[in-house]
Amino acid sequence: MKKEQLQPMPTAAPDLSSLVIPLLKGVVYRDETTARNAGLWNDLLETQARVRDYVAVLGLELVLDEAEGYAFLRSRLPDGDDAGAQLPRLVARRPLSFPVSLLLALLRKKLAEFDAGGGQEAGGVRLVLTRDDIVELIRVFLPDTSNEARLMDRVDSHINKVVELGFLRRMKPATGQPGAFEVRRILKAFVDAQWLADFDARLAAYRAQLEKPDQAENDE
Amino acid sequence: MGLDFNTLDLLRQNHPAWRLLNSPHAPLVASFLHRVFILPNERIIAQAELVEKLEDELYVLRERRGTEAFPRTASEYLNDWAGNDKGWLRKFYRQNSDEPYFDLTPATEKAIAWLGQLSERTFIGTESRLLTLFELLRQIDAGSEADPETRVAELGKRRDEIEAEMARVLDGDIPFLDDTALKDRFQQFMATSRELLSDFREVEHNFRTLDRGVRERIALWEGGKGELLEEIMGERDAIAGSDQGRSFRAFWDFLMSSARQEEFSEMLERVLALPAVAELEPDARTRRAHYDWLEAGEHTQRTVAQLSQQLRRFLDDQAWLENRRIMDILRGIESKTLAERRTPPSGDFTAIAQIGAAIELPMERPLYTPALKPHLADRVLEAGDVDLDAAVLFSQVVVDKAELSGHIRRSLQSAAQITLHELCERRPLQHGLAELVAYLELGGEDFKTMVDEEAKEIICWSGTDPDGREQTKQARLPRVIFLR
Repeated sequence: MKKEQLQPMPTAAPDLSSLVIPLLKGVVYRDETTARNAGLWNDLLETQARVRDYVAVLGLELVLDEAEGYAFLRSRLPDGDDAGAQLPRLVARRPLSFPVSLLLALLRKKLAEFDAGGGQEAGGVRLVLTRDDIVELIRVFLPDTSNEARLMDRVDSHINKVVELGFLRRMKPATGQPGAFEVRRILKAFVDAQWLADFDARLAAYRAQLEKPDQAENDE
Repeated sequence: MGLDFNTLDLLRQNHPAWRLLNSPHAPLVASFLHRVFILPNERIIAQAELVEKLEDELYVLRERRGTEAFPRTASEYLNDWAGNDKGWLRKFYRQNSDEPYFDLTPATEKAIAWLGQLSERTFIGTESRLLTLFELLRQIDAGSEADPETRVAELGKRRDEIEAEMARVLDGDIPFLDDTALKDRFQQFMATSRELLSDFREVEHNFRTLDRGVRERIALWEGGKGELLEEIMGERDAIAGSDQGRSFRAFWDFLMSSARQEEFSEMLERVLALPAVAELEPDARTRRAHYDWLEAGEHTQRTVAQLSQQLRRFLDDQAWLENRRIMDILRGIESKTLAERRTPPSGDFTAIAQIGAAIELPMERPLYTPALKPHLADRVLEAGDVDLDAAVLFSQVVVDKAELSGHIRRSLQSAAQITLHELCERRPLQHGLAELVAYLELGGEDFKTMVDEEAKEIICWSGTDPDGREQTKQARLPRVIFLR
């Protein structure tokens, strides 16, 4: 339904459109090449500077991680000197509920452990978890409930939200096997130390807020 | 490894190879895995394929032993064998596919190789092995000799021996190896080449263990980054620089030279043609021994390259520091969450940037088209009477393809080539367009044809139209030539 109609600059090489449009739509992975974008990654590496200049006009910056093999666009933080020219953000920030944020943090932890453990003899760069694995991961942090089915449903809805955000990928279920999810490495770039520190700070603030009314009650 | 009681006891419980031999399903596991992995020298097999093969095997076994034998499904067995408590198969995901793949573990290969040796050998050669031992010692000795004069003396001695032999051969006294000696040596060749092939998996396994060791050291490092780098300065190539790595590298370089490969193939061909060797009935795969090594070696090379790359990435500056910090923060988050378990925060808690830019162009939305609502009219069906000549339904055109192909064949007897136009002139089309299409169909299926796009031909036929009048129709198509 959405069709971008960016006019390519008249003097630019035709490559620029084929690079910028996928970037605006999402993440470009080196390893997920299809017939259409076979040379996309290499083109992107070569014409990085031009892409950066181009998207800077839209208030975006290009994040390109060669080692990990992904590239995406991010909102450029304003320089801060002229508050009058605050540009509206092109890349929105989605609000997340607490369980989904927690799930993201736990998946990041799993990814870090996976990297440190050398892929546990599996010889792959891909961390794949089944739905049961994910439930086990988050179960201990959710409030107790005797209704097991409801817990699974809730975790399912959290997983769906993370899939929607683009950090988990549903894998094609093989015959007779339960569905599995791949944790995409782009999670590393979005759930980074800063985001986690922010999460930590909010938790601390929430905790303090819980304790204060208790104290106020005790005082009275 | 000392073979004392405690070691062996532990080994019996923990080593997958021993567990395999102990298991009640050992004949099934060993025979199936041998047939599927080792005989065709496959390194990895996709899950769907492997499940199918195991199902076939289980079906055959159930026929023979009754339906109670091996009650579980093939995929259950495979997942069980790949589990941590058994450890006979390795299950993993490959780069560009969503399907899991299976591979043998080196322990399984060892167990199966050992089972292969249990069968009695009719002839156990000793002479060739003694000669090999001599040769090895000589190589070690000569290779570690530092004094150049001694070396030159050794080489001189060998040269004299070779010259004496050349003189003997020119005189006509050609020493042949007798049949026993040939068989002895060939048997040793087969045994060693099989061992070499089965060792590749273990080489790969060792590489992975090395890699994991390095990563653990990195992850648990408490001190500063500088000291860590000093400690493992060269260990970016820790894998390639180890004993395992160097030996493998030397083997690979030796094998990769195409001159050597050709030499090997030729020698192997000649040897396998000897009658004495043929008596030993060598495995058909011995002929391809060096290709098998190449395949296995290539696979191992790729694994090593992948491991080195991942290690390099792991050691990358930013990633390392961030990983440490992330683990610390995560620990904090976990402890706080556990404390607040009963009262989790509700509503929106954090926010995260979206992955792509949300570009919505209002004018791109398609305009409203009212949905097609099928109008179900509730009417009673009545039988209708219509004056129609139903003969039209029954007057079908039947084109006798056999007759047409007979015509083509007869025409091709007299000429090597014939165009479609000529065929239609010799035997005019009776059923019109349907017959023409039948010719083209025959041309595609049963006869060799060539189509000349440049030249066009016009084919005419006459027929009767619905009113009963004669009319001619013509079709223009590229020239189609039927060949003998």
